[in-house]
Amino acid sequence: METDDRGDGETVYEVGAFYELLTERLESAYGRRHPHWVRGEIAKVYEKGHMYIDLVDAGSTASDTRRPVLNAHCWGTPWAPMKKKLAADGIALRPGMIVSFLGYVDVYAPQGKIGFSISQIDVEGLLGDVARRRQELIGRLQSEGLLEANKTVTVSPVPLRVGLVASPGTEGYNDFTGQLLHSNFGFDVLLVRSAVQGEGAPAQIIAAIEALDEHGVDVICLVRGGGSKGDLACFDDERVARAIARSSTAVMTGIGHTGDESVADLVAHTRAITPTKLGEHLVGLVDTWYQRNVKGPARRIVVATQEIVDESTEYVAERRRTMIFAVRDRLRAEQRHLASTRGSLVMHSRHVVNSAAQLLASRRQLLSAYDPTRRLAQGWSVTTRSDGTVVRSIDDVDVGDGLRIRVSDGSVRTTVDEKNGAT
Amino acid sequence: MNETAGWTESAAELDAIVASFDEGEVTVDDLFAKLERATAIIESLEARLDATRAKVDELAPRLTRIAEGE
Repeated sequence: METDDRGDGETVYEVGAFYELLTERLESAYGRRHPHWVRGEIAKVYEKGHMYIDLVDAGSTASDTRRPVLNAHCWGTPWAPMKKKLAADGIALRPGMIVSFLGYVDVYAPQGKIGFSISQIDVEGLLGDVARRRQELIGRLQSEGLLEANKTVTVSPVPLRVGLVASPGTEGYNDFTGQLLHSNFGFDVLLVRSAVQGEGAPAQIIAAIEALDEHGVDVICLVRGGGSKGDLACFDDERVARAIARSSTAVMTGIGHTGDESVADLVAHTRAITPTKLGEHLVGLVDTWYQRNVKGPARRIVVATQEIVDESTEYVAERRRTMIFAVRDRLRAEQRHLASTRGSLVMHSRHVVNSAAQLLASRRQLLSAYDPTRRLAQGWSVTTRSDGTVVRSIDDVDVGDGLRIRVSDGSVRTTVDEKNGAT
Repeated sequence: MNETAGWTESAAELDAIVASFDEGEVTVDDLFAKLERATAIIESLEARLDATRAKVDELAPRLTRIAEGE
């Protein structure tokens, strides 16, 4: 230790010696690297191999130039596993976080700083803080009506145009697209690549959602396979939640494992528990529509068509039989009518003939009374002149005329000798 | 026969002819004409039915495949 004596009993220290003294006194007071828990609000955080954190009293303001600041640091060796543990729990140290560190006072002479070397972080406390912040975010979104905003968006009944926010080649991406690919439906997937973990993920996810919403798709699917809480932390990001709520297109999520439920899931129109389930859900929507609007009608048309053909065939066959029987019946009726008419005609004709025969017989009998042969046989004669005319009066002849007298068995010729009138 | 007449129109005419037989309105004079007309209609309907059945036989399997989701 480099010191000097001023001569008045007071020791004068060189700078290095002063820091050595300071260190010695601190270590004698607290013990070498004696650990202390210190809680405060992170004012600044900077990582470059080592982690540097400015810790202030919670609630103090930066404008207060007299507020105490603890320059804490965590060297690379202890920081690496600590960082890994924090990341696994979804925690990234950020300004504003209230955090408790276990560490010891560390005098760093090269920069003239009395700092605090961190050896442990109260992760449980941080997790509680993260959970509290998450609940506060959910409360804010709820009070603003944003938890339900995207759920009111109408989804196309056939969501075939799928906007996909994912990281190609990842398990989640493959699980989701595999469901669509093997469905036999013509899904048209428009992929917007996005990181789905890490610091830059929220900004990329938001940009992807906004781009797809602007482009116009039936549904936007936000897909990410399982991972640690840290991996999935971007889906608890308030900016992502608000982007989903703002989207005029339904946003569906398939994020992580069965037990994971992010704020994005809560804000989304539909939440599936895994990328595979989200793919199944989309396929189910299309299949439901297909069943109702294509397969069902096709089935009914097949049945109805067969019924119409069967009924029409039966109708024509029945009409054919009816016509044959009707015509036969009609012809038989006509035949019966003709037969009946014919019988009547025969009977009537016979009656007429018989009547005529009877009349003829009667006339014949009457005529026979006037038969001249019968008169001639009784002794009557017929006298005719030479010209054949019958002599009915003496005036019909003159004396000397030749006459023919017909009797029953012949005739004689005579001459008129005289004429005498009847007395 | 009116070739442009539809199935319903032709069937209605056929029904009317059958009804005239049922009502005893057909005389011997118009019996042949009505029978001839009815036969022509029935043959026309059967021809249409055959054509329709052929088309149905062709299309039904395709619809069935859709209905059964093949």
